[in-house]
Amino acid sequence: MPPPLPSRRTVLGGLGTLAVAGSFGLAAANRSASAIASDADVRVRYWNLFSGGDGVNMIAMLNAFRRADPRVDVKDSTLQWGNPYYTKLAMAASGNRAPDLAVMHLGRIPGFAPGRLLDPWDVGLLGKCGVREADFNPVLWKRAVVDGKLYGLPLDIHAQLCFYRRDVCGKAGLLGDGGNLAAVSSPEEWFKALKTAKKAVKGNLQVLGMKASEPNFSWWFFLSFYTQLGGTCLSADGQDVTFDTDKATRVLEFLRQHVTDGYTAPVGIADGEMFLNGSAFTWEGNWSVPVFNDAKLDYGATELPPVFGRPATHAESHCFVLPHQAARGGAANEGAHRLAAYIVRNALAWSQGGHIPAYAPTLEDKDYLALKPQAEYVSAMDHMAVEPSAWFAGSTGLLAQRIGPAVASSNVGSARPDATARRMKDVLEKLLTMKNPMAGEAIVEEGAAT
Amino acid sequence: MTAVSQISPRVRRRGPRKKWTPGQIVLTAIGVLVSGVFTAPFVWAVFTSLKSETEAVAVPTHWVPQEWTIQAWQAIFETGNITNWFVNSVVVSVCVTFVVVLVGALAGYGFARTGFRGKNALLGLVMAGLMVSPAVLGVPLFTTVQSMGVVDTYWGMILPQCAPAAMVYILYKFFQGIPKELEEAAFIDGAGRWRVFFTIVLPLSRPPLAAVGIFTFIASWNNFLWPYMVTNNPDLMTMPNGIATVMNSYGIQWAQLMAGGLVAGLPLIIVFVFFQRQIVSGVAHTGLAGQ
Amino acid sequence: MSAVDTTLTPAVVRPVPAVYADSARVRLARGFQHGGWFVAPFLALFALFVLLPIGRGLWLSFTDANISGVGERFVGLDNYREALDDPLMWDSLGHSAYFTFLVVPCIVLLAFVLAVLAHHIERAKWLWRLCFFAPFLLPSTVAANLWQWLFNPGTGMINHVFGLETPWLTQKSTAMIAIVITTLWWTVGFSFLLFLAALQNIPRHLYEAAALDGANAWHRMVHITLPMLRNITGLVVTLQILASLQVFDQAVVMQDFGPGPEESTRTFVQFTLEEGFTAYRVGYASAISIIFFLIIAVVALGRMWLLRKREEGAR
Repeated sequence: MPPPLPSRRTVLGGLGTLAVAGSFGLAAANRSASAIASDADVRVRYWNLFSGGDGVNMIAMLNAFRRADPRVDVKDSTLQWGNPYYTKLAMAASGNRAPDLAVMHLGRIPGFAPGRLLDPWDVGLLGKCGVREADFNPVLWKRAVVDGKLYGLPLDIHAQLCFYRRDVCGKAGLLGDGGNLAAVSSPEEWFKALKTAKKAVKGNLQVLGMKASEPNFSWWFFLSFYTQLGGTCLSADGQDVTFDTDKATRVLEFLRQHVTDGYTAPVGIADGEMFLNGSAFTWEGNWSVPVFNDAKLDYGATELPPVFGRPATHAESHCFVLPHQAARGGAANEGAHRLAAYIVRNALAWSQGGHIPAYAPTLEDKDYLALKPQAEYVSAMDHMAVEPSAWFAGSTGLLAQRIGPAVASSNVGSARPDATARRMKDVLEKLLTMKNPMAGEAIVEEGAAT
Repeated sequence: MTAVSQISPRVRRRGPRKKWTPGQIVLTAIGVLVSGVFTAPFVWAVFTSLKSETEAVAVPTHWVPQEWTIQAWQAIFETGNITNWFVNSVVVSVCVTFVVVLVGALAGYGFARTGFRGKNALLGLVMAGLMVSPAVLGVPLFTTVQSMGVVDTYWGMILPQCAPAAMVYILYKFFQGIPKELEEAAFIDGAGRWRVFFTIVLPLSRPPLAAVGIFTFIASWNNFLWPYMVTNNPDLMTMPNGIATVMNSYGIQWAQLMAGGLVAGLPLIIVFVFFQRQIVSGVAHTGLAGQ
Repeated sequence: MSAVDTTLTPAVVRPVPAVYADSARVRLARGFQHGGWFVAPFLALFALFVLLPIGRGLWLSFTDANISGVGERFVGLDNYREALDDPLMWDSLGHSAYFTFLVVPCIVLLAFVLAVLAHHIERAKWLWRLCFFAPFLLPSTVAANLWQWLFNPGTGMINHVFGLETPWLTQKSTAMIAIVITTLWWTVGFSFLLFLAALQNIPRHLYEAAALDGANAWHRMVHITLPMLRNITGLVVTLQILASLQVFDQAVVMQDFGPGPEESTRTFVQFTLEEGFTAYRVGYASAISIIFFLIIAVVALGRMWLLRKREEGAR
């Protein structure tokens, strides 16, 4: 006679007990299953916000590092880009459970309470890894230093660009010597160029993609042209609003005209796809370079047209930061330094994603100079239009969140340009009256001013 | 208060075979149509997950994959996040369910059958607590949990989900309905309060406890808001949170996103197919308790 | 909206009945010292994670506290003054109210129709229940991702099936509608089950008697079914209002955690979390949370008041 089988209830009960016991066991150990499984010497937890082409390049660079430095186990996590990322990073740092290394936009450093949410880099240790101040664009390095300490290790400069199709623009006679886009120097010239281009664009495709309804891009484009007009947001000491509503109105009217004149669709159309299909222009971040390269387009990319005189195009920088850990130091910290230094120094792969490298030796690398269209817009690093230095500024910060939708609603015609300009000024004034929530001892913001 | 025991979600009437009357034909046809609309999104998700990423975004779009592939499914399991999150979801939901059922049964019984100073005032307080949730008081709840130092831990996710006044109220109502004579006989035999509770009351209460357990498990498995607020470390995230906040380095890949969503959603649906009766009565029961 | 939230049942707030007079013997004999222990574990959790946050929220709402948890100062009613003067708060409250206004009637009606349908079809009852209820078992974020994909203007199925080119989620006029449709599909199953259970609770003899009197299907619906479902409808409406006012998950996931086109889908909960976790202004966020708490309480107490009035009227 076979032994009696356990009844179904016994089995279910046993499984249930096991599940409960196991769950409580893991909860009590408070370690995720993957952390228990890992067995490397040093584990560097690294957070970033790169997806798409940038994500692919970052993974390739991480893999190269893993081969070069096999003792360090890099555990990378990609979080949702933009504001959610910063929220998570700030909370992890304030809760003392931060990753060992993270990527951040340079403009966000003032809002991250250097010294409280961020730990300074050990410049000596970086030097041992082959990274020195002299190798960087001084403007970038200075922006990353607060109170004499380095909080951000710059990786790149990324800018908003005017992409143009050589085939379409050539047909319209808009190309100058050498096959690059001929310069324009006033709004009238720009719209004339668009008008000519329209004839060369086939079908009902839009002539220009400018993401009119997208708040972040709208704000970035606004900032570019507003800076061209010489406009500023805050005084140098960061105490007063210097926003010029007349200049802002001019810029908003300029942006709006693209929609009213029918050069761009107000909402819902994928600008990138339209460009692939035959739009003459699209305004985009340089991170779209790989997309257009993959499509084998004949195109170029330049700074946003300097229609108001002095050239300026919105730019930001990715940099590496050390989120605050109470017990920062030791092997993981050293691993973080090694990883960041390696990536900054080997950023050629990164520049294939369209970014201008922050590490100067790369800029002279002949492989970099051969990259197209990167070489065409490298001058953007000298014409950066940046957000004011304030705790609420920086990529997708509070300022962009509040002010971006205003620009977008003007673009699509829901609000009048002059009213929008006043609203933007109100936003700045209100933000300025808000106390920096991270202010307090150990926070020095003035140092971040450029 | 409705007597919950009356709910019989599965009405099985034995009798003469049902006839296809014209009314039935029309109703059934409508039923099939509406069910089709309700299931279509699932079908779309399954088909998408079985396409290659390029086919998923091909124009014009189409339902059935031209080339069937399981690359999306392979990819999500290779990167490992999904399995991680799955384990985390199980850990959190199982712990929450266990604690809620245990603590809820004790408290429900305590309120229903024992007396102590200030009981009515406390009961009133618990009822007022029904209006509090992470959606309503999320920020203060977060700072409270933060000051306990359990942000980004399993306990930080679990414990705040373990004080559901609603479940206590449901069990309280149930225990009030159990005839007192059953207990009194045991008391006369000299059994203590705890023994009566564990040997007489609990065995009688399997259906409502199962209902509370099922409801709690579903709620906890699907909970997004609180884990979203309290976890930052991707290794510790639960399924709904991880899927929404952790990106694929290769951008939005719809086939993988759909496959991941199915991994998160299917376990409960499969369980539902097998335990339909219990789950339906569980949900109806907990919901109707508010009537 | 986390539909299966424990907050689903605020509707049960009602006066505590004076139980217990009849079991005084048991209580006197044994109850006192044990009773406290039965309730103690729950009370401990309740105090830590419900009462303490309420108290803390109240205190914080009078301070300028930030997320780091140090250096807060008492600022009196400043936060409340700022909140009542903040167009963003009113806008987001408006969006949540608009969402509620769209969702509640649709869900109640649809749930009722589906329940009647499932109740009357005689074959494969389990199948209808499964189809209508299954979406409710999905995590909110999965449902939202799925519909984000369905609403995708270029490659989504909805535009394809209906031959449209609507950019559902990126234009102001349709963004909220898309979220409402998603919510309907995802959460109607819960209300559907409540209606179905209530339908099955209606005593059969009422219908048999009516049939003898020659009442047709329509009359039976109007004179028996609808009146018998009055209580459950009230419950469903209340639960849905409370859950819909707290909408968050679908809205943020479908808009990639942004405020939607022209800020048209920023909900109240989203606004609170943005103030607290993005702007790091915990004090201000607490003040808004308290205001929200009061709104929720008014709705819940409103239902209680209606119920009591009806009971009095019935006497």
